Amino acid sequence: MLTKLINKTEEGILCIMLVGMTLLVFVEVILRFGFNTGLLWAEEVTLYISAWFVLFGASYGIKVGAHIAVEAFVKLLPDNIRRLVASVAIILSVIYCGLFLYGSWIYLTKMKMIGIEMEDLPIPKWIAMSILFIGFVFLGIRLLQLLWDVITGKQLGFHVIDEAEETLHLFEEIEQIELAEDAAETRAGQ
Amino acid sequence: MTTATLFILLLACMGMGMPIAIALGLSSIVTILFFSNDSLASIALKLFESTSEHYTLLAIPFFILSSSFLSTGGVARRLIDFAVDSVGHIRGGLAMASVMACMLFAAVSGSSPATVAAIGTIVIAGMVRAGYPESFAAGVIANAGTLGILIPPSIVMLVYAAATEVSAARMFMAGFLPGLMMGGILMVAIYIVARVKNLPSRPFPGVIKLIKSGATALGGLMLIIIVLGSIYGGIASPTEAAAVAAVYGFFIAVVGYRDIGPLRKIPWRYPDEKLSRAALRNTHQSVAALFKSAIDPEIKEVLLDATKTSLMLLFIIANAMLFAHVLTTERIPHMIAETIVLWGLPVWGFLVVVNILLLIAGNFMEPSAIILIMAPILFPIATQLGIDPIHLGIIMVVNMEIGMLTPPVGLNLFVTAGITKRDIGWVIRAALPWLGLLLIFLMLITYVPQISLFLPEYLDARAGY
Repeated sequence: MLTKLINKTEEGILCIMLVGMTLLVFVEVILRFGFNTGLLWAEEVTLYISAWFVLFGASYGIKVGAHIAVEAFVKLLPDNIRRLVASVAIILSVIYCGLFLYGSWIYLTKMKMIGIEMEDLPIPKWIAMSILFIGFVFLGIRLLQLLWDVITGKQLGFHVIDEAEETLHLFEEIEQIELAEDAAETRAGQ
Repeated sequence: MTTATLFILLLACMGMGMPIAIALGLSSIVTILFFSNDSLASIALKLFESTSEHYTLLAIPFFILSSSFLSTGGVARRLIDFAVDSVGHIRGGLAMASVMACMLFAAVSGSSPATVAAIGTIVIAGMVRAGYPESFAAGVIANAGTLGILIPPSIVMLVYAAATEVSAARMFMAGFLPGLMMGGILMVAIYIVARVKNLPSRPFPGVIKLIKSGATALGGLMLIIIVLGSIYGGIASPTEAAAVAAVYGFFIAVVGYRDIGPLRKIPWRYPDEKLSRAALRNTHQSVAALFKSAIDPEIKEVLLDATKTSLMLLFIIANAMLFAHVLTTERIPHMIAETIVLWGLPVWGFLVVVNILLLIAGNFMEPSAIILIMAPILFPIATQLGIDPIHLGIIMVVNMEIGMLTPPVGLNLFVTAGITKRDIGWVIRAALPWLGLLLIFLMLITYVPQISLFLPEYLDARAGY
């Protein structure tokens, strides 16, 4: 139940950010051409949303396996060794996270001390940039979860979306339409 | 030493199956920590800046969004109808129409595997029914599908523009002519084969039917006109054009074509419905649909799809910018360039090496990832040798097209295998003769830079954009 709620929230936030960015740029275009005005803060906000989108989404990407990787070599290994290699890769990724957490913590505390605000909005810069730290905390959590799944044998590695499989849903969708049409035609023929 | 550390780490991490984004980031940070004086805080700042200071990059999620709205079976069907009505009456016309439909769908969707899946599903079966050999049909589609990344608007080109900071608008212009040319080459080859093998043609459906199917297809095709028109006409930047395209894509898919979303299966006009009544009903239904879309499960599916792809790409790009930063501060490309100049390797020799390198890389990695890793290395070298950055970009894109047709990562092969329900070896054999054409085309593009540079330079001269 809780995981379902977290999933929904995560997906909801990401979708809203994507739609928000799109609409902001769209509205700005309309304002410029239709009314010859613009929103002064729109560009900065759009860019910050994009940063939040990417850094918040990185952990979601680990969860759903959206990040692409080179699978050709690990696929050749037997399952046990493959899981071992994957564990090493995940531990290295956690180190990557740790380095960023450390760096962004230092940076953010400095920014808080100096107390600069964003260019067009009266928001302290360290709050606007806090996603740098938050995002990597989430990424770290997802990676540790993944590590546990690999160790307990629930997974073989970063389960990567197979893009070929992904696009084949189009094929199934079209095939269903065709079948329905054929059925309608035969009925009409009778 | 620095160079060796960077590349060995990168290759080792990627070989272990680590996500490419993290592999790029990790190898860059470690190299910086060991060989330079930058602090971790400044690296963190660099990563944040690379996600938040590039307005051009936003075109990527917007185009992905617009293409996910329009990558539906319904759009594919309409484009195919239009293509068959226009060229179907020529000998081998159904195959030519498939190539044309692939080109149109590629331009709208910007994705090669999606093009193969959407167009291939319908036309391969259609061609077999019309008496074409199945291997012929599958081979044509697998190849024509690769045009998706060459015909603008193309996401791979945007990625190249982001990696090298050349103008995305110029890249789009440069891809236009080569894209048409490759389509033309495929069609001519089909015509010749059709003459030799005596393949069937269809009767001409009449001008009225052609205009009608053209008008239906125009809903989707308007997207290309809006995007390219506003970029080339100098009205909007690629990012703004992409945002408009995304909103337009939503309207066409939900209100216009009604393939997805709350209006699905509600026709524009019921039989025997009065025109005024239908107009009134459609107006309020359309407005209601805008609000209903917010909670519609199908719309959410499309949004989530676009979200996954965009954040994956943008996260790689953010890390790739760290990687590029290390490359420039350590002057790695410059050193390679100096060595090459010292060897006295001529420009054509360098281009041969580039082609071979990219073809090998294309066997293992995704197009966007390859471009993000290779472009920052190749770009400074090419500039030093006097190769136009735009030309280099087109060469890279055409190489990536070939990469989609070579195992083990050739996406188009897997999609074609899925559609035809044949094994991968059969698909490779079917695609092979057409792959030969693509290789010849690659040589043309590599050694005749004017093909890529003519249009951007012509428009430059007219100060068109």
